[in-house]
Amino acid sequence: MFPIYKKELQSFFYTPFAYAIAALFMLLFTYIFGVAIGGMDSSNTLKFSFTEIFYNVTLYFIFLLPILTMRTFADERKFGTEVLLMTSPVSVLKIVIAKFLANMTVYIFMLAGTLVYPIITAINGEVVISQLICAYIGIFSWGMMFITLGMLISSFTENSSIAAIIGEIIMFGVLFLDDFANTAFISQYPKLQSVLYAFAAQPRFAYFSQGFIRLSDLVFFASATIVFLVWTYISIEKRRWKRG
Amino acid sequence: MITIENLTKYYGSNRAVNDISFTINDNEILGFLGPNGAGKSTTMNMIAGYLPMSGGKVTICGDDITENPVKAKRNIGYLPEIPPVYPDMKVREYLDFCAGLKGIKGKEKKSEMERVMALLKIADVQHKLIRNLSKGYKQRVGFAQALLGNPKFLILDEPTVGLDPNQVVEVRSIIKDLKKEHSVIFSSHILSEVSAVCDRVVIINKGDIRAIDTIENLEKSFNDSSVLHVKCAGSKAAAAAIIGVTEGVAEIMEAVDEGNNITSFTVKLSGNAEQTQEKLMADCLKNQVTVLEIYTDKPNLEKVFTELINRPVQKKSMDELLNEIVPEKTDSTENEDAESEEKEENE
Repeated sequence: MFPIYKKELQSFFYTPFAYAIAALFMLLFTYIFGVAIGGMDSSNTLKFSFTEIFYNVTLYFIFLLPILTMRTFADERKFGTEVLLMTSPVSVLKIVIAKFLANMTVYIFMLAGTLVYPIITAINGEVVISQLICAYIGIFSWGMMFITLGMLISSFTENSSIAAIIGEIIMFGVLFLDDFANTAFISQYPKLQSVLYAFAAQPRFAYFSQGFIRLSDLVFFASATIVFLVWTYISIEKRRWKRG
Repeated sequence: MITIENLTKYYGSNRAVNDISFTINDNEILGFLGPNGAGKSTTMNMIAGYLPMSGGKVTICGDDITENPVKAKRNIGYLPEIPPVYPDMKVREYLDFCAGLKGIKGKEKKSEMERVMALLKIADVQHKLIRNLSKGYKQRVGFAQALLGNPKFLILDEPTVGLDPNQVVEVRSIIKDLKKEHSVIFSSHILSEVSAVCDRVVIINKGDIRAIDTIENLEKSFNDSSVLHVKCAGSKAAAAAIIGVTEGVAEIMEAVDEGNNITSFTVKLSGNAEQTQEKLMADCLKNQVTVLEIYTDKPNLEKVFTELINRPVQKKSMDELLNEIVPEKTDSTENEDAESEEKEENE
């Protein structure tokens, strides 16, 4: 398992890929941070809440995560290296987990960069550490779910660009699931609304960014991650059986 | 030993491999011959554990590839048709990764990498990106990967495709050397290659096994000894007269004048080829006709191959199929079986 993890990390960090995606993320984060600071009114200091930036940043993040995950399985198929992995004495589940861990490592690398902003804020103002930790736990679990979703989509195709585009469409849909559930049309069907709401990730993430850690939210993200990982495993196995 | 029993693969309703069984013995090179689309790669993918089978069983050193895949795969080195290399990796990095995948660690890993790189002569490109290598080098890097960890069995799917003639010769000699420690299954559609390298061949077409035997036996069974070629010096008419009356000669099919008083005869035989040959030589000697050359049609694998491939599959009758299902045979069905077998032999 470890060699696959190492190889994946090499493919991210020996190429400009990880740095480019982290830089782009920092750029977006800086923009939102700057706008928030710039819009701050001196008469109302509460207006700037650092953790809310995390909530806003997810909208941009959703375009980056599929780019991170698009190559995970699509490229293995494209280059025919899937055969190598499948005929090696490593089980498919271990391959999936190794790749997941590698993607998460890059994700943590991206998040680590954002620690600069709380430090800047702390120098010039006050940071509520407990709330900050909550926000980081939140964005970590939120990202974990979307990364596994991206991996799943990557396992469907051998074209990484298609994996990225489909990933963006689906993740965008998931991101706005609660807004969609709140529309007047869906409100006509309260049962459907409650079902859609149960699957919406954003309201759960909002709790984290407000400084709440709720067990139900943690369970939601963890179970979604597990479901997507198992689904990825099944998708790979299924294709092997069907493959022509 | 690898045992393959009743291996079958369906792609949808399309049957790619049909109920094939054979074994690969230790220290043996088994050639896997067939035209394109015969099911060679599918079979190899199934043996290596990449594709699941629709039916049947593959056992590698006693481990079933579907029931105990991790253990079974430890004994296999596989080079697929397209070498499974990462274009963005350097050769050394790639081999390091593959060695890790196979669970080779520490010092052993390093020595294994050095060994395979030396064996396939890729040490000079070890710090190059794989994407910048030529097709031949990529193939060799893929081959090196299969050899890592010294697996007992090597499955090589068309390992010489895309190599230049020099490299082909090198790779063939490497495969021959591998026989000392490994068993090799080796697919190809190049017949000269198979006859140069393999101990036994499996000939497969459209998913069916057409023959499993040593090359010599196959060639013998298809040896066309009913035609004799004779080249004589001297008068054409005199030679024809002698040949024509020799015992065992049915007729002279062709007599070609080659100039300088030399004639080539193609003779159809009615009797035993060797005896006729002896008699003919003796007769010619007696009558002062010099025989320059005399031979029967040489058997060759190409002929065997085309004949086997083009031969229609012997379809089993409904009775035969029923007999296979019903374990207890009556006397009458046994007789029928024997008759049908006789018929098949006659054909």
